[in-house]
Formats: sequence, structure tokens, C-alpha cells
Amino acid sequence: MEDIQEILEDFLVEAFELIEQLDQNLVELESNPDDLELLNSIFRVAHTIKGSSSFLNFDILTGLTHHMEDVLNKARHGDLKLTPEVMDVVLESIDLMKSLLHAIRDSGNDTSVGIDITDICRRLDIISNGEAAANVVVTAEEVDESPTPTYEEDDNTDYSKLSDKEVEDEIERLLKMRKEEDRKRKENTSATKAAAVPTPSFESLKDNDEEIAPKAAAEPVAAKRASAEANAPAKKESASAMEQTIRVEVKRLDHLMNLIGELVLGKNRLLKIYDDVEERYEGEKFLEELNQVVSSISLVTTDLQIAVMKTRMLPIAKVFNKFPRMVRDLSRELGKQIELEISGEETELDKSIVEEIGDPLVHIIRNSCDHGIEDGATRRANGKAEMGLIQLKAYNEGNHIVIEITDDGKGLDPDLLRSKAVEKGMITEREADAMTDKEAFALIFRPSLSTAKVVTNVSGRGVGMDVVKTNIEKLNGIIDVDSEVGHGTVIKLKIPLTLAIIQALLVGAQEEYYAIPLASVLETVRIPLDEIYTIEGKNVLRLRDEVLSLVRLSDIFGVKQVYEGGEHTYVVVIGLAESKLGVVVDTLVGQEEIVIKSLGDYLQGIEGIAGATIRGDGRVTLIVDVAALMNLAKGITVDIRASAEAVVKTKTVPSDYIVLAVDDSAMDRNIMKKSMEPIGVKVLEASNGQEALNMLKSAEYSIDAVLIDIEMPRMDGYTLAGEIRKYSKYKNLPLIAVTSRTSKSDRLRGVESGMSEYITKPYSPEYLESVVRKNIKL
Amino acid sequence: MNDKLNQILKKQQQQVDEPHKKEDDVIQLVGFIIGQEEYAVPILSIQEIIKPIEYTRVPSVPTYILGVFNLRGSVIPLIDLRSKFKMDPAKVTEDTRYIVMKGVDNTAGFVIDRLTEAIRIKSSRIGPPPETIHAEKGMVYGIGMRDENILTILKVEQLLKRDF
Repeated sequence: MEDIQEILEDFLVEAFELIEQLDQNLVELESNPDDLELLNSIFRVAHTIKGSSSFLNFDILTGLTHHMEDVLNKARHGDLKLTPEVMDVVLESIDLMKSLLHAIRDSGNDTSVGIDITDICRRLDIISNGEAAANVVVTAEEVDESPTPTYEEDDNTDYSKLSDKEVEDEIERLLKMRKEEDRKRKENTSATKAAAVPTPSFESLKDNDEEIAPKAAAEPVAAKRASAEANAPAKKESASAMEQTIRVEVKRLDHLMNLIGELVLGKNRLLKIYDDVEERYEGEKFLEELNQVVSSISLVTTDLQIAVMKTRMLPIAKVFNKFPRMVRDLSRELGKQIELEISGEETELDKSIVEEIGDPLVHIIRNSCDHGIEDGATRRANGKAEMGLIQLKAYNEGNHIVIEITDDGKGLDPDLLRSKAVEKGMITEREADAMTDKEAFALIFRPSLSTAKVVTNVSGRGVGMDVVKTNIEKLNGIIDVDSEVGHGTVIKLKIPLTLAIIQALLVGAQEEYYAIPLASVLETVRIPLDEIYTIEGKNVLRLRDEVLSLVRLSDIFGVKQVYEGGEHTYVVVIGLAESKLGVVVDTLVGQEEIVIKSLGDYLQGIEGIAGATIRGDGRVTLIVDVAALMNLAKGITVDIRASAEAVVKTKTVPSDYIVLAVDDSAMDRNIMKKSMEPIGVKVLEASNGQEALNMLKSAEYSIDAVLIDIEMPRMDGYTLAGEIRKYSKYKNLPLIAVTSRTSKSDRLRGVESGMSEYITKPYSPEYLESVVRKNIKL
Repeated sequence: MNDKLNQILKKQQQQVDEPHKKEDDVIQLVGFIIGQEEYAVPILSIQEIIKPIEYTRVPSVPTYILGVFNLRGSVIPLIDLRSKFKMDPAKVTEDTRYIVMKGVDNTAGFVIDRLTEAIRIKSSRIGPPPETIHAEKGMVYGIGMRDENILTILKVEQLLKRDF
């Protein structure tokens, strides 16, 4: 029973592949009706499906394929001309075959869904018989064939009555069967039967030619089996590519990808640790060795990651292949002449993306056919070739794949789009006037905006382009539309190659860090605050010839404002689908490869957050969901410039200022306290670095300066300074080392760890006082 | 022969079953303090207990969710039980711990003030929760009566359920 299940699965996988190929070849055949080789390969594919489905007792499917095969057979022998009308019927029967296969996949048989094939079989018969009858040269073979049994019911077919062709078919069918049976290790039963079959001829599938190679009637069984097996790869039809492949469950690849993700995190961590160690033990010999190990691990990890990523890659041909058929059907339906030109179909991208990209492309191409390409008469009148051309192109660009859909149709009219959008109340007239043509083109992605005058079967409801936008956004892709009235439209989709491990730009908003997918980052700029303008309550920036809305990342995520940034600020320009936004951040950390991790069920679906990643230092960093961010930004109305300038100085009198004295000796702390008495500041005490750090971390007091002793238990002064400097809000906090270490190297280390002043003991109270005054500007 | 074998097998089965039955009666808990009260959760629902580590704040969530932290490569939410039980916030001390609890499809860390001990309690000594406390959210599984004090036993599945 399990054997049968296994065979069934193999059959389905193979059949779906074959049918896809059939579809493609048939469309190709239509433009090239004399290509005998193509016709032969189509015939063979149909035949293979018939053979295996009859073996598995799918009678309906077998019947259908049989009728189709009849038609193809006639065509192959030159007795039938493949007109578009004939092609329509053949393609229709292929669609029916697809539905039957789906039914088999879902329910295990082809009878339960109740797909009726009698009508299509009748039409196929009319074609094969009717056309044949009209033919003057009616060969004996055909006369013989008219009362063909619907399909081979069983093994007891009377071979003596069959025509040569049918015997040939029968042999092929039996060979196919043998192959299946080999797998079941039940050779003996049918071996005798097969040997008993008279074998007048044997068609070699491998040599793609029509010639029938006569072979001895009593061929040894073993030899036949061997050739049947040899035929198997050739049937895949990519005659040249005898590649060795293995089918792997996607789940396993996903698991592998997860493990690689962990490894990448580990690698990042290792790199970070190495940096720290390098600083601390400069010049030590073991560093060299460590460096070698770290670099080789990081190299191998990167290679491994690329290798695993590649196993998940599929050529985009998987998606592109269905379009020739679609465009053919559409052009017949719409009564236009449209040619589809595909290039770059070998470009590869991640399986999950391949699955998502199909729908948007269908919508774009349908649109191009329906709205883009004009009908023949109009085209002629406009001096264009009657045949409309749609080009579908895929190519790599850095870490992205670009899919370009170009048509030479009537193009988009930006003014018409503007007026339509105003009419529907999507934008105000003022907005419409301010819009550039590019922005106007982007209007086509708004839901329920359609410029079509009539809603056709194909498009015009204003839904399709909205689907395109949503799907592309999901993939973190960017859409670019360009068009010229009368000349055509170019739509460019720019999509990242993979989803699990991405390049990200790490930015800091006050105390917090966020990762923005680099795929969505267009550029980063540093601007003075006074270049930010406010228009109707919105912050905008004039960037070259564009006006860009601005929003502060810390406002979107409600980050506490703990320090002001200064006169300059960084703007990360992000773009998604067709829109752009400037995000104001406080620091740019850099570019890093990050592994996307989910936040788990508990925190799922938080607006603006796409997931999390673990950085080299082991901390969690949240990944920004660019699409949601753009939405959130609309609701933010904080005047960036005003709020940045309105940082009120809350401290006015000296007693508002707080200085933290860190020293393990109570006496030393007292001396410090005494020295600062004349200033009038408040002094807090801590007896070691850890305690001081905790006080700073708790943010209970707003401390204005820290006096630090170097020699302390638990955490020394250098470490403390280093730790404090890790917080961006303490980047400018005066740290004053007060120590008896006087050597030059000690001073140097003090500077390295982030001390702003270095006072050696003993010191005069006045000197300390003046240093503190200078640092807190009193 | 067969009968004998059956008998032996039966005996063996009994031996296997019996201690199990005894244990069924006793529930093993881990006790901890939040504020003034002692709480407990079944020991089997605890994945691990760790000292406080750094966490990352997550925007637009209720205040009792402090953020997320990295537990050996997994990103796990951190929930402040004090804040969840509407108590005043407290500072992190030497005794503060994160208890990482594991449910069917969720894992989360919970901040507690301090651990007490592992507790074995007979299920007969666990009463239903009084209707007044936390009952509205079903977070309490029952009240454990002990010789010297009482325990509030929390329902882990409920704690791990997202309620915003």
C-alpha cells in the first residue's frame, strides 16, 4: 500500500512538471508549427502521462490524454494542421488535465470531483477525425484508427489487431510500467508477460528522432529494462542537461537555514569579541593565531550561508513559464496581437520569493495587455507595428533581483491619473498640483483607482495593482514606474534575493538601536537642523529636487528623549514599493548582516516591528517593519526642529548640579567633597565602579560629572569609564580620573577608556574645583 | 507457562504504576516572592531560572512587558509580574531573578523579587482561588495551604497568554 502511495507521489510530481512543459511547448509550437522535433517532444510528454496514469488506473485522465494524443499524433504525421482553433481545444484539454491532477493530489482519484471530459473528448475527436477526413490522403493507418478503443484497458489487449504505431505505444507503456514495477521489486511477474509481447520495433526516446529503430523481436528482458531506465532522465526533455539532482523536502532546507542563521550570529559575536580582545592584548602573539581562526571561520560561514541559500534558489523561469500561455490566451480574448519576449529567466531567487512574485506579475502583465497595448487599428494609426510587444526581463543587481515589465503601448497619462484621483477624493487638488509625474504614476497602486473606461473580464476594477503593491511590500521590494504617453510603460520590481538573512543598517534612536533592512534604504544624509521645514504640520526636507517627509524614529517608537542631538542630524531615506520617507535618527551604527528571528507568539504583530535579531554583543535588536513604519509616520505630528531647539535647560543654580564621587576610600571621597564645597554642587558617593554604574544606570539622578578613582575593588576606574561611555546619553558626560597613578601609560589608558580629565593625587582642592567647574560649565 | 509470565508482567506493571500514583498526589512547585506575597508555579512548567540580563525595550506594548532578551539565541519576551499584578515597581536587587516559563506554544521570562524554595504539596491541600484576587483574569490556579503560610499557585498557561 505504501509502495503505491510512493509511486503516486512520484507520478504527481512528474506529471505536474510534464504538464507545465507541455503548456510551454505548445505555445511555442503555435508560433513555430513546422517544428517537428518540438511536436515530437510534446507527443512524448503526453504519452508518458497517459502511460503512467493508466498504470495507476486513472481512467478519466488516461481517456483524456488518449484523445489528445490522437490529435497530436495526426499533427505529427503531417495529417493535421495545427490552427489556433485546434490549439485552443488542445490547451483547454491541458487545463482539464491539470484540474484532474489536482483532484488526484487532493483526493487520490480522478473520479470523485466529477470533471466531465466527454465534451472535450468529442471535440478532440472531431478534430482528429474531421480534419483527417477532409484530408485527401487518407492513409490506411488512419482508417484503422478511427474505431480506436478509448484507451488501453488492461494487459490483455489483442496485440495482433494493433497498428504499428499502437504497438509501439503499447511497448512504451509497458516499459513505463516496468520501470514502476522495478521500484516495487516485483519484476518476475511481468517479466514473463513483457517477454511474451511481440516487439517488432522500438522507439528510442533518447535520439529525439522519429526513425523507428527495428530491433530483434525477442529482445532480452534485461536489456529492455536497462534501456527503459536509460530513457528516464532523457524524458525530462532538457536533453543536454543530464544533471544529477535530488529532491529534498523544503522543511529540511528551512531547518538548515535556521541552523546557518545561528551560526551567522555566532560568527558575528566572535568577530566582536575578537575586536575587544585585540584592543586589550595588542601585540600579543596569540592574537595572530586567533585572528587566523576567526577569519577562516567567518569566511567559511559566509560561504556556507551562500551555499545553503543557493540550494533554496529557483530560476525565475518557474514563474515566467506560465506567461506565454497567459499572454496568448489574453491576446486572443482581447483581439489584439501581442508578443511576449522573455529574457533572464535563468536568474535565480529564493523559493519563498518565487512563490510570492507570481501573482503581482500576473496582474502587471494582464494590465499591460488590457490597458497598455492598443488594438491593431490604433497602433497602425499611431505608426506603430501592429504587433504589440511586452518584454519581461529579470536580472541581478547587487543583492537584489530586478524584474522589468516593459510594454510599447499607450503609456500612462499622469494628468489623467491626477484628475481621476482627485475625482475619487483620494488626494486634494493642491496635492495633485504638487505631484511630480512619477508620484502621479504611483497613484495606480492605490486601491480602487482604475483609468480603464470599461471594466473588462481581464482588468479595470482597480484591484490588481493594489495586490501588486501589497505583495511587493511583503517582500521588502521596491516598485518603480516610468511611462511616456504614446510610447509605453516600464514597471521595475526590485526584490531582495532572500528573506531569512538580510543586510541591515543599524541606527540609534536615543538609547535604543534598530535595524532597518538595507533593501529599503535608499540613502543616508547628514543635515543641519535648520534645513528641516514644516509644511501643514509635517516636517519636510528638501533633498536635491525632491521634497521628503521627515519623521523621527524615536517619536514613532516612543523612545524616551534623554539627550539632545546637536545641530546636525542623520536622515535615513527609506523607500518601499512606490513611496519614500526620511527617518531622522541620532546615530548611524553601520551595516551588518542580520538573521531575522520572530518575536514569538506572545509579541507577534507589533506595529512597526518586523522581528528581532541578536547582535554580536548578544543583545537583541529590533528590526523595523518599513511598510508599517510608513503608516505609523502619517500619525506623527511632532515638530522636529522646534522640539530639538526647545530643550530647556532645567538646571539654573549650582545646587541643581550633581557630581558623583567614586572612590573606595571614604577619606578620599571626603577630600573630594570638601574641594567642591565652594562650587555649591550636590555630591553623591559611590565606593566602587559597580555601584557607580548602577547609580548611573538607574537614572534616578541626573548626574553632571563623575570623579573616578582608578584602583577600586569589583570594578576599576578604566572599566567604569568604558562602561559609562557605552551609553549614548553619557557620551558627553565629564569623567574626571582622580588617581595616584602618574605614569604616561596610565594617562594614555585613561584617555582610551573615555576619561575627559586626568588629575593625579595629591592635588590641591582649588585645582579640583577649577577642573570640575570647567567641565560642568559653572 | 503463559499464565506465569502474565502474572510476572502484571506485577511488574503494578510496580511501575504505583509510585507514579503516589506522586500524582503530590505536586512539585517552585516558590517565589513578588512584593509581600509568596507565589508558586509547577516545577515542570519552568524551563530555567536566570539572573537578570540586559533586555531590549519593545515599542507599543503594555508597560508590564519590559521587552525582549536573548536566551542563548532565542528572543524571549520579559514580563514584569509586579507591574502585571498592579504593584509598585521595585529596583533590581541581588535576589532578582528571571523565571523562564514554557507553555504549549509560548515561552516568556518573568521578573520576580526573589526565589524561596522547591515545594512539594499534596493536591488535597490546594483550594480553589478566592474570587477576589486576580480571578477575573484566571491567572490563579489555586491556593496552597502550608503549615506556616499560604501560597498562591499561578496558572502558567494563563500567564503566557497574550492579553493585549
